[in-house]
Amino acid sequence: MIKRGKGLAISYYGTGYGNGYPDVSNAIVRLNKDGKVSIFVGGTEVGQGAKTVFVQIAAETLNINIEDIILYSEDTINTPDAGTAAASRQTYNTGNAIKLACEKFIEELKAKAKEILNLDSTEGLIVSDSNVYLNSSKNDKVSFLEIASNVKNGFFESQASFTAHTVEMDVETGQGEPYWPYTFSACEVEVEVNTLTGIVNIIHARFAQDVGKAVNPRMIEGQIDGGFYMGQSYCLFEDLNIVDGKIMNNKYSKYLLPTSMDTIDIDKIIIEDPESTAPFGAKGIGEPVTIPVAPAILNAIYDAINVRINELPATPDKIISALKKVKSEDQL
Amino acid sequence: MELKHIGNSIDRIDSLAKVTGKAMYPQDYYVDNMLYGKTLRSIYPFAKINIDTREAQNLPGVIRIFTHNDVPNNAHGVLHKDQLVFCKDIVRRIGDPIAFVVAETEKICEEAIEKIKVQYEIMKPVLDPIEAMKEDSIKIHGDSNIVYHFKLRKGDALRALEESYFVATNTYKTHSIDHAFLQPEAGIGYLDENGNIAVIVATQYPHYDREEIAYCLNLPIENIRIINSNVGGAFGGREDITLQVHLALAAKTLNRVIKCVYSREESFLAHSKRHAMIMNYSTGVDKEGYLTAVKAEIIGDTGAYASWADNVLRKAGVHATGPYIVPNVMVDSYAVYTNNPYAGAMRGFGATQVAVAYEQQMDILARELKMSPVEIRLKNILKVGSITSTGQLLNNSVPLENCLRSVTE
Amino acid sequence: MINLKINVNNTDYEIEIDEEKRLIDLLRDELRLTGVKEGCSEGECGACSVILDGKLVNSCLIMAFQVNDSKVVTIEGLSEGDNINYIQKAFIEAGAVQCGYCTPGMILAAKAILDKNPNPSREEIRMGISGNLCRCTGYEKIVEAIELAGGYLNGTKTYRE
Repeated sequence: MIKRGKGLAISYYGTGYGNGYPDVSNAIVRLNKDGKVSIFVGGTEVGQGAKTVFVQIAAETLNINIEDIILYSEDTINTPDAGTAAASRQTYNTGNAIKLACEKFIEELKAKAKEILNLDSTEGLIVSDSNVYLNSSKNDKVSFLEIASNVKNGFFESQASFTAHTVEMDVETGQGEPYWPYTFSACEVEVEVNTLTGIVNIIHARFAQDVGKAVNPRMIEGQIDGGFYMGQSYCLFEDLNIVDGKIMNNKYSKYLLPTSMDTIDIDKIIIEDPESTAPFGAKGIGEPVTIPVAPAILNAIYDAINVRINELPATPDKIISALKKVKSEDQL
Repeated sequence: MELKHIGNSIDRIDSLAKVTGKAMYPQDYYVDNMLYGKTLRSIYPFAKINIDTREAQNLPGVIRIFTHNDVPNNAHGVLHKDQLVFCKDIVRRIGDPIAFVVAETEKICEEAIEKIKVQYEIMKPVLDPIEAMKEDSIKIHGDSNIVYHFKLRKGDALRALEESYFVATNTYKTHSIDHAFLQPEAGIGYLDENGNIAVIVATQYPHYDREEIAYCLNLPIENIRIINSNVGGAFGGREDITLQVHLALAAKTLNRVIKCVYSREESFLAHSKRHAMIMNYSTGVDKEGYLTAVKAEIIGDTGAYASWADNVLRKAGVHATGPYIVPNVMVDSYAVYTNNPYAGAMRGFGATQVAVAYEQQMDILARELKMSPVEIRLKNILKVGSITSTGQLLNNSVPLENCLRSVTE
Repeated sequence: MINLKINVNNTDYEIEIDEEKRLIDLLRDELRLTGVKEGCSEGECGACSVILDGKLVNSCLIMAFQVNDSKVVTIEGLSEGDNINYIQKAFIEAGAVQCGYCTPGMILAAKAILDKNPNPSREEIRMGISGNLCRCTGYEKIVEAIELAGGYLNGTKTYRE
């Protein structure tokens, strides 16, 4: 018999290493000879979209085109340490470091423009579209290219460092401020459970993710899709089957991952509520998008068949044996 | 403030390279006359070992076999340096690296691995974290298998549970899983034009890899260079060292280009897993549906090595009460060594596991009180001005109610 | 060693290769077409997908000697320089790329679908890519991308400027 049920779960997630551990990102912004701007930062693109987010934050802060930014983030020989691509911290931490470095860079540009334009103050100077303008007259300007050609020795660059707020908790009570910021999520799913085969199909899913401020909404949707997928897979599919310390399911033919036939389109809702300590209000969401999925599915399974699955994964055999157990208890 | 770039769904700046197949992952680098490396790994979860590489070393095409003897500081790990570059006397899990063969072809590497003699004196493995916690258990490292214990205390949880209108008490178990990123680990080690050791690898944290190689090889950090190519997914599984030190050691010793590519099976053996957890929960509620107390004991099996265990179990403990206002809290979370595959970071990092428990608890309470799942949550959720279970004031962006209403209305 | 003739991405090759080598080894190790990705070596993940004589195959499951006189298309055969084809365009525009490791195989799977049917339903698309695993995207944006590419092909959608 096919039974339907709905399940809800909400969750939160504290960004960063936490507990007072120094959570630092560094970034360097440099003016190139051709008037373009290079960003050097050690934050890793693992597929989550870090490179694109870094460039968007830099372009916004510098008020220049995306195409005028060259990002270097691969080689330790020329990038400063920006911490690990983990703990959902790159958008927040490294994004803040890039924004700070760009803000310093703007001040440096203005100082140089003042020199070139023979002004007595940087007051009224505006940086826009790879030029520094004197705002009273758009004719008085100096381009990034001209500034670059005025740089005789060394690099024209700015660096900045950002350290997240985190306080070590009390060892006995755990009281304190371990993480910042917190990011919130909610997920509702509807499932169909086949009581003969134990197979659970997700037929509808809605996911709302607090992002602070969306840097790139389409990439956020991609994160929600992928996070949901991973949560679904954790709950219903994946099983290493470790026996006597040995991973029995050590290849893809045994370690089952959902295919395109096992997933559905998800209603994705991006919730914006800018976080004042974050770059343009943006929080990291790489991990939060996975967290409420498994409990939402488990709650939906219960709603469908009145059986709690207390042990992951909720594979068909586990659901069948749980159903049998309930049935035999009913008969007693 | 009007924003020009933030909020725009611009195309990913790395997508052109990725759709054309030009994006290079470490296995995509080929150099003429490069050598290949392959790792010999333990096949038992707990054993004393003795190794003899002489016959393998004499195989034509074998350049060098590296073992613990070749590593100045044979220890690495993100928090505790409890992992070995190569095991010396003891293996603590299936998959522990014992030797790294460098040869002219991958095939010769495989033949040489077959010819390395490892004598295993098998010991009884500790596989159950609850057994492992006992005082008389066999110890995997040092004098206790408990790597870390996090305590969270607020109010009087025991008394509040006694006085609650209803208490749900349940045990939840979550299992260990693999990141299963699509690109198996691979890397290239070589000496760059300045004579520095360069390793091309797919990593989550190049500056950490650099530090760890420098430590293991006892070299200044300036002599090490990590080139992070494209990374074929990570999800926490590329935070620990796998082949980085092996490749750096081989490049330094041989002054040749060495390539190493893991198979899918080896990838499963090489990197960390998500912590399996046992979570004993008691959650109390009053008649109106307000939470009164949460008492939770969380045991995380970190396997043979700690990796991020302290931080994972801390994050689990801090998030154990869920996004709710709970006046009385008693949480104990433990990270425990066993001889299982080692666990470390994975997407959600302890906060994913506890949600499986606290969110099922909320539904159980709601049903008992004949409330809807939405109603009970709305009564208890964190809002602007709320204080968390660790006593932290949330005074900034807290749009949880908006999230909740968005998926249910 | 064996000799074989093969046409890859419209170029003819005569290659001497070890009989133990698979098609993926020929493409990657010999021709350096590294857009062909290896993810599992057992035909489960589809990262090594190529089009062999018009059919989508896992190049890790085919021996090199089996492809004598065949025609192979890899991801490198779909574009010239930055001049990318309509499916590649759609993948970028729909946000169907994350880590990128499944992407070449996915795009070739999409080509195999669209070569047969320029107007596939979402279900048909999901069926058509079910042999290709993706660990990042949950597939939805990939399905969207292929739908969009179908639109480019059948003229119901025009390229974004």
